[in-house]
Amino acid sequence: MEDKQSYWQENLRLIFICLAIWFVVSFGFGLLLVEPLNEIRLGGYKLGFWFAQQGSIYTFVGLIFWYGKKMNDLDKKYNVEDA
Amino acid sequence: MNRHTKIAIFVAPILILLGYVLSDMYMEHEASKIKIVELVPFGHCDVKNQKCILKSGEFEINVMDDKGITTVNSTYPLDTATLFTVDKSNQATPYQLGMKDSPYYWKRETALGTLIENKGDSAKLRIIIEIKGGKYFAEFYTQTTN
Repeated sequence: MEDKQSYWQENLRLIFICLAIWFVVSFGFGLLLVEPLNEIRLGGYKLGFWFAQQGSIYTFVGLIFWYGKKMNDLDKKYNVEDA
Repeated sequence: MNRHTKIAIFVAPILILLGYVLSDMYMEHEASKIKIVELVPFGHCDVKNQKCILKSGEFEINVMDDKGITTVNSTYPLDTATLFTVDKSNQATPYQLGMKDSPYYWKRETALGTLIENKGDSAKLRIIIEIKGGKYFAEFYTQTTN
């Protein structure tokens, strides 16, 4: 029972980290901080614009696999891996 | 692919849609606020020779005068454009410009042409532009170079 709770707590922690990154990258970089970030150029594109158009999507895809890996590690730690 | 990655792949589009809706609401809220922004001359301003650009970020307007007809051309469509000539005692004479063919071009007959007719003549001008989501203003000088 304690193991289940601990597993769930760690799972929630990962989810909140993912949601925080999701918020910072999409709203933070793409909307709220777009003007200061636009002062920086990335491959000729304004960084704030790039985050709003592509950067946040790349980060979301990266988050999917990062979350998958971390959860896999968690499954191993608590011996609840896929059969 | 493990079950957690599969779940994340199913959840991600929902978060993307949620983000899209929330950002749209945020942008609509921001657009409804009236913003007042100053336009700054880009280089030397010579209205008589069609070389007077005022800008703020991506937004630019070009102020020009040809035979007494003053024209304002902008990078975004405008709602209104008012030009003021300012005399030495700081008295401003307003000229409400009218739309010419499209909201990117605004013009009107003004006294500006006579003020800057000769080489070396200069005049103090003000402009107030209304555009969806904000007002832009500038106080600047034009000087005829040739």
